[in-house]
Amino acid sequence: MKKKDLEMFRNIGISAHIDSGKTTLTERILFYTQRIHAIHEVRGKDGVGATMDSMELEKERGITIQSAATYCNWKGYDINIIDTPGHVDFTIEVERALRVLDGAVLILCSVGGVQSQSITVTRQMTRYNVPRIAFINKCDRTGANPYRVAKQIREKLGMNAVMMQIPIGLEGDMEGVVDLVTMKAIYFDGDNGEIMREEEIPEHLRDEADERREELLDNASMFSDELLEAILEGEPTVEMINDAVRRGTIALEMAPVFIGSAYKNKGVQPLLNAVANYLPSPLDIKNIALDLDNDEQEVVLSSNEEDPLVSLAFKLEDGRYGQLTYVRNYQGSLKKGDTIINSRTGKKVKVGRLVRMHSDEMEEIAESGAGDIVALFGIDCASGDTFTAKQINYSMSSMHVPAAVISLAIIPVDNKAQNNMSKALNRFTKEDPTFRSFVDHETNETIISGMGELHLEVYIERMKREYDAEVEVGAPQVAYRETITRRAEFNYTHKKQSGGSGQFGRVGGYMEPLEEGEYEFVDKIVGGSIPREFISSCDKGFSKSMAKGALAGFPVTGIRCVINDGASHAVDSSDVAFQLASVGAFKEGYLKAGPVLMEPIMKVAVEGPSEFQGGIMGSLNQRRGIIVGTLEENDYTAVESEVPLSEMFGYSTVLRSLTQGKAEFTMEFASYRQVPKSVSEEIIEEVRKKEKEKK
Amino acid sequence: MQKQDLINNNPLRALSPAGELQSVGRVSLVMARAGVGKTAILVQIALDKMLRGKNILHVSIGQSLDKTKVWYDDIFNSIVEGKKLENMVSIREDMIRHRMIMTFNAETFSVPKLEERLRDLVDQNIFRPDCLLVDGFDCAKTSAEELSDMRDLMASMEMNIWISARSHRDDDRVSNSGVPAPCHELDSLFDTVILLEPKPEEKSIALNVIKDTASAGEPGKILNLDPATLMLKA
Repeated sequence: MKKKDLEMFRNIGISAHIDSGKTTLTERILFYTQRIHAIHEVRGKDGVGATMDSMELEKERGITIQSAATYCNWKGYDINIIDTPGHVDFTIEVERALRVLDGAVLILCSVGGVQSQSITVTRQMTRYNVPRIAFINKCDRTGANPYRVAKQIREKLGMNAVMMQIPIGLEGDMEGVVDLVTMKAIYFDGDNGEIMREEEIPEHLRDEADERREELLDNASMFSDELLEAILEGEPTVEMINDAVRRGTIALEMAPVFIGSAYKNKGVQPLLNAVANYLPSPLDIKNIALDLDNDEQEVVLSSNEEDPLVSLAFKLEDGRYGQLTYVRNYQGSLKKGDTIINSRTGKKVKVGRLVRMHSDEMEEIAESGAGDIVALFGIDCASGDTFTAKQINYSMSSMHVPAAVISLAIIPVDNKAQNNMSKALNRFTKEDPTFRSFVDHETNETIISGMGELHLEVYIERMKREYDAEVEVGAPQVAYRETITRRAEFNYTHKKQSGGSGQFGRVGGYMEPLEEGEYEFVDKIVGGSIPREFISSCDKGFSKSMAKGALAGFPVTGIRCVINDGASHAVDSSDVAFQLASVGAFKEGYLKAGPVLMEPIMKVAVEGPSEFQGGIMGSLNQRRGIIVGTLEENDYTAVESEVPLSEMFGYSTVLRSLTQGKAEFTMEFASYRQVPKSVSEEIIEEVRKKEKEKK
Repeated sequence: MQKQDLINNNPLRALSPAGELQSVGRVSLVMARAGVGKTAILVQIALDKMLRGKNILHVSIGQSLDKTKVWYDDIFNSIVEGKKLENMVSIREDMIRHRMIMTFNAETFSVPKLEERLRDLVDQNIFRPDCLLVDGFDCAKTSAEELSDMRDLMASMEMNIWISARSHRDDDRVSNSGVPAPCHELDSLFDTVILLEPKPEEKSIALNVIKDTASAGEPGKILNLDPATLMLKA
């Protein structure tokens, strides 16, 4: 793509709290950009459902899980919209989508305002330096107050929110908006609000508009000397203001705020103008890759079409015609028939079909340039893989993948389901690195693990619907771990001299808690009491022991094993002998080292009307939760707490009945912490009982 | 270093009201101009109590929960910096159990509301604080009756309270014992009053105890804060 064209390119995300109308807004955008020709509502009566939620399950639940990419064109601007999920259980999806965005629209509900999920998403966007504009939606609803929401954006999200519009009427009386840049009133006529009508600002709003424009100019002039001069001398032009706002937005120093109601077809077209005017093009963003041939040195990518290709696979989907891989090109161009390299596997891949996606429909294209988002057909890869041209070996920096906190057993009901289940698991684990599956060799059960109850539920549903794999589901299991609390010595001799070649090895040393990291092996042997060639055998023996702790059989973490003494035999010592000696030494030391159980602690945020604060805190307290803090604003309360995951099962039902459905909660993994003694004893007992049953 | 050394070496030990653990129902006030270190001193008092196993309720008016947590993290880090504290991770985890933070925006906060919330916590057995710290208290908005109710409440619940309030450059009214506006009219309701006064020529901030009903001896004992870190100096 030519530089000139790239300036007209926008890769944006639409990100929001659940239920703030993200899917409805996307639907309207596609309608006004003429990508679709009729408007369907989420959970609509016509049974068709909004276009972006492409998976059936999403349609049924009214939530968006996968971040499908969709293309549209607005006044000559090419816009790729990455729809991002609004639930914390799917944050890896959100984070991955954020990597490929150049800018984002943050949707907020004019009544609910900034809620905990918006805070989480905003934090993630700040981490990936994504410039944002805000859209305060649902201004037609009772209790709408965009000014309050703008204030919350400043206070709770720490963003410099600047109103770019003011509403003409609110709630049921909302008629349109006043554009503070052009100082015109805008109304939305026609059946679907498709005709924008510009008028003079209504008399009663003049003063308010003048005042807010003043604020806007004050803020914008920080980013443009030209604008500052123009303001001092008289009337600044629309172009000057737009230019300054754009600079402030791209520098992440300013968040322009727009208002409207997507459902009532108000304010969507001005938002599209804002995407074009204020959000960055791929040229405005610096992207960095790691050079694998050069010790992972950082390389700045060029956005140049002549340079060698660098492209990131950020999303896989199982389409009707096989695997569909969404890629974002950062540099160079991707043509049909090209041979590209997957830098993770080193394998050559031939580009077959290249398509531009519009939700379920697709458009075949021959070539795509730097900055574009397209999909490839029939390419085998995992999500997060980097593709490059032959002459370079770059990787986009690897993404942080958190450890799973919850697991459950799934049992296929029959043979057919067994086959389909394997296919489904194979696909899901490729799509989502936080979703894992393995077979427990002791029970022969298939175990899936992930980031939360809902996370696993969604995959089980998808197995049924998309793969026809009916499975029975075991009770969710918390991923406990074991660790030690104090230093302990070991000195263990492994000896076997009955028949055949003998085995001999003695390992002496100590183990101690490791504050950071999972396992460390330190060799302090002097004088060769354990021969060089067997040191690594000791390491192997210890690390093998970490897989299953002697307390309750959970994986062990946070241990440093130090060896400083030992003995060997000229004939009978071997790799195996020292591995077994180390396993014995580990066991000996471990039980003396005060082993304890650790459990995942979740950060749980509950929000709702203040009248329920006491009840909410009580319910968290009952679940062994620590109330970290509360936040109270007018009639609205948020409670932040840390609660063990094992206590959170079924909490949504409890919360609903406790608060008449008026409160909601989000939960994300915080850390592993020691299980209190009484609880720990129960868990260990439970494990022992199960083991007995097996025998 | 052991936890106990950390407690014993705390410069706060030199200050009798903050060192006091036994007495209850005390109402103490820290006053200063904006940015001098009111929050920092409250957090240091709170951390000292948490280390000694007391529960504290930090009430923050106009500051977010995250910001308040950062204050605690930063000051704890400064306290243990370079001290090679043993079992630091578990001490830190243990301390968090002794703390709860309540944040209000300025419009929502009132003394009766705080009282209601406090009763909720105690009655439901969710959290029983030994000490309250109210950061960003507006004396101008509070009547003598309300504050006196608060005093009674603290006494009946066997708690202590520390309040921080901001004084203003252009308002030079003071009470007889030297409490500046806007808290001058509530003077008699405080057991301890500490003023933070920047001393640019000495490169420090003086912690000036202008009133202290508990100490038999000299009010006017002075500790100092390092203006860069806002940490108490021994």
